[in-house]
Amino acid sequence: MKKILTTLALSGLAFTSCTSDDSVNPDKTEELQVEVPAQYSFKRDGASTVSYTGQTQRLRMVKELFSSFQDFDNATQNSMSNMFSNENDPFTGAELNETSKSIKSKVAASRLYFSTNTVASNEIKADFEEFINIQANEVFPKENELAAPGQAGQIAAGSSVRYIDGKGLEADQALAKGLIGALVADQMLNNYLSVAVLDEGDNLVNNDDENVEEGKNYTAMEHKWDEAYGYLYGDASVPSEDPNSILNESEDILLFKYMGSVNNDSDFEGIAEETFEAFKTGRAAIVGGNYDLRDEQVEIIRENISTIIAVRAIYYLQAGKNQLADGQDGVAFHSLSEGYGFIYSLMFTHNPETGAPYISAENVENYLEQLMAGNGFWDVTPETLDAISEDIAAAFDFSVEQASE
Amino acid sequence: MIRILRFSILPLLAAMISCSDADETEDDNNTDSFDRGEMLQNWADNIIIPSFENFEGITQNLEAKTLAFTEEPTEAGLAELRSAYVEGYLGFQTVSIFEIGEAEAVNYRANLNTYPLDAEGVEEKISSNEYNLELPSSYDEQGFPALDYLLNGLAETNTEIVEFYTSHENAEVYKNYLQNVSERINALTSVVHSGWKNSYRDDFVANTGSSSTGAVDRITNDYILYYEKFLRSGKIGIPAGAFTGNPVPGAVEAYYSPSLSKDLYLKALETTQNFFNGRHFDGSQNGPGYGDYLDYLNTIKNGEDLSSLIDGQFVTINEQAAVLDNNFVSQVENNNNDMLAAFDELQQNVILLKVDMMQAISISVDYVDSDGD
Repeated sequence: MKKILTTLALSGLAFTSCTSDDSVNPDKTEELQVEVPAQYSFKRDGASTVSYTGQTQRLRMVKELFSSFQDFDNATQNSMSNMFSNENDPFTGAELNETSKSIKSKVAASRLYFSTNTVASNEIKADFEEFINIQANEVFPKENELAAPGQAGQIAAGSSVRYIDGKGLEADQALAKGLIGALVADQMLNNYLSVAVLDEGDNLVNNDDENVEEGKNYTAMEHKWDEAYGYLYGDASVPSEDPNSILNESEDILLFKYMGSVNNDSDFEGIAEETFEAFKTGRAAIVGGNYDLRDEQVEIIRENISTIIAVRAIYYLQAGKNQLADGQDGVAFHSLSEGYGFIYSLMFTHNPETGAPYISAENVENYLEQLMAGNGFWDVTPETLDAISEDIAAAFDFSVEQASE
Repeated sequence: MIRILRFSILPLLAAMISCSDADETEDDNNTDSFDRGEMLQNWADNIIIPSFENFEGITQNLEAKTLAFTEEPTEAGLAELRSAYVEGYLGFQTVSIFEIGEAEAVNYRANLNTYPLDAEGVEEKISSNEYNLELPSSYDEQGFPALDYLLNGLAETNTEIVEFYTSHENAEVYKNYLQNVSERINALTSVVHSGWKNSYRDDFVANTGSSSTGAVDRITNDYILYYEKFLRSGKIGIPAGAFTGNPVPGAVEAYYSPSLSKDLYLKALETTQNFFNGRHFDGSQNGPGYGDYLDYLNTIKNGEDLSSLIDGQFVTINEQAAVLDNNFVSQVENNNNDMLAAFDELQQNVILLKVDMMQAISISVDYVDSDGD
């Protein structure tokens, strides 16, 4: 786990004053001191400048959509698709129905990866519609049948019931874990934390001059940063200022949840705190006008979030492999379905050294095809699971073993 | 949490200090020379297989009595069937721990004893005459909890209950459902018992390795899981609201024949304690078990043998149980504090078994309580 960037960020530069050569205002020669607060608390004239309601809303939408995959009595392909695109008042609460936000509009929609690639973006959106299609049209009709190779239905997983398609895939897991990449990580790493978005238009000048957005008390740049923050920490159960106080105990079902899981692995201990520090420092750097420091934090966040996704992908492939060996098919298929979603998410990661995903979309597609060949999880071999795990680990700097604990 | 840490450090230190005769134990690889094979044999041949042998006899009788009742539903037949049900439910307590091998493969315990029953679900299935007890989604619609409902929960009086099987418009389906439930209990028991007799016993006894796939490791995890989840929580903790603060009388085992609930608890307790001591199923003697293993390792806690502490706690738990009403539904409703007291005593042994004993014999807990999503 590369701690080099952290050391730089926390020890030296956090409290160093330096002039920014990139400053738009060459007359500014006073030292750019950055004070990093203990909590994620930023104010202007006594009021908080931190806001990310749109993100919180989308996280709620994902939760509701995810739950409806198990609503055999009432959910349909239309109702779930409507939740995905927020059309026709699909949610139970008025707040979500009335907002203009939707999950779909922000799936594979980042500035860096998709602004000139709407073809790919639409294909990815279609993948998620396909998960909905599978659940509604393949799985729902087989609610009261036992699953078998090539046939959807129920399967026992311990003393629980799981519902899978003909290839053993739990579509709701594929959707949720896939959205960790396609919605959450993509928006964070490739959109809101990108220079293209942070510095777009007059953001730099306005930030330097503290020109706040109309009707608000935050600058555009501050807000963009907070929107990235909101995708990770925005679940209603997570305290905005001190999110790690509830790590592993929140009701989040997406990235924050799995950041907690990875943090529990002794090989990756500290990743949660490091990520939070980076968010705080970057936000403080924005307030202090120190954009180099800000961008250094982005590198840390990009590496950490990408790591979390990769670690979980490997973790679930290995868990599934062991469970298959144990004859626990239902439990194994559940693990592998989660692995499927995390692998899908790998194409949205961002390697700070290359500016591209750690694993290309092509390779991701290849892995998924291997997993789903024949009767999918019913047929998959331990060799395949190991080979994919090794491939993923090779793109990072940890081992399959470290990720599997 | 702090309490547990404090306890766990002492035996580790103590074990290191007083463990002069035993070999040094590494982290996961137990290299002591306790005869695990002998213990596995005792477990398999003197406890587990005899338990299933006995229980299968009971389930065969249960199926036969059910058939007799459904062929001619009378109050006398109902009384006989109820006896068979009681014998069955008590007998199940003697095998429920051993969710390993074939039992694990068929989800034996989940099929035979998931409660509270989904009574509404049962009624829906009967009125639609559409059901498949093999589905995992039907775990809570079959087994002993379903028998309990079908024999005791349909109506207030015996006469009215029998009418469900004679004059009720769905009488045929009620009879079939009842029959299917008993048949399935017996069929699964037969499968599990055969599994042991055919090849699993030999595999089990030969699997003396000390890794997490060794038989000792696996059965011990099953044992601790049973104690914590099914004995402590299932029979006492959840009904008493020990975790939530809200008692749930509806979660009592044998809810429709609640005067059986304490007997089921005592039987499960006895089975758990006996297994700890390696006591033969026929009660004739004690063979090698956890108590012996801990004594071999000379495991001490707070100056006492851990094996004595655990056994002593079992005695305490039994003594506490004396104050409990036979009917746990009444107990929860009228004096839940006594149920909470039972929970507290059971909890003591969770710590001694799950933390202290597991650590002493170098086995790691392989289960997580939650769904693990």
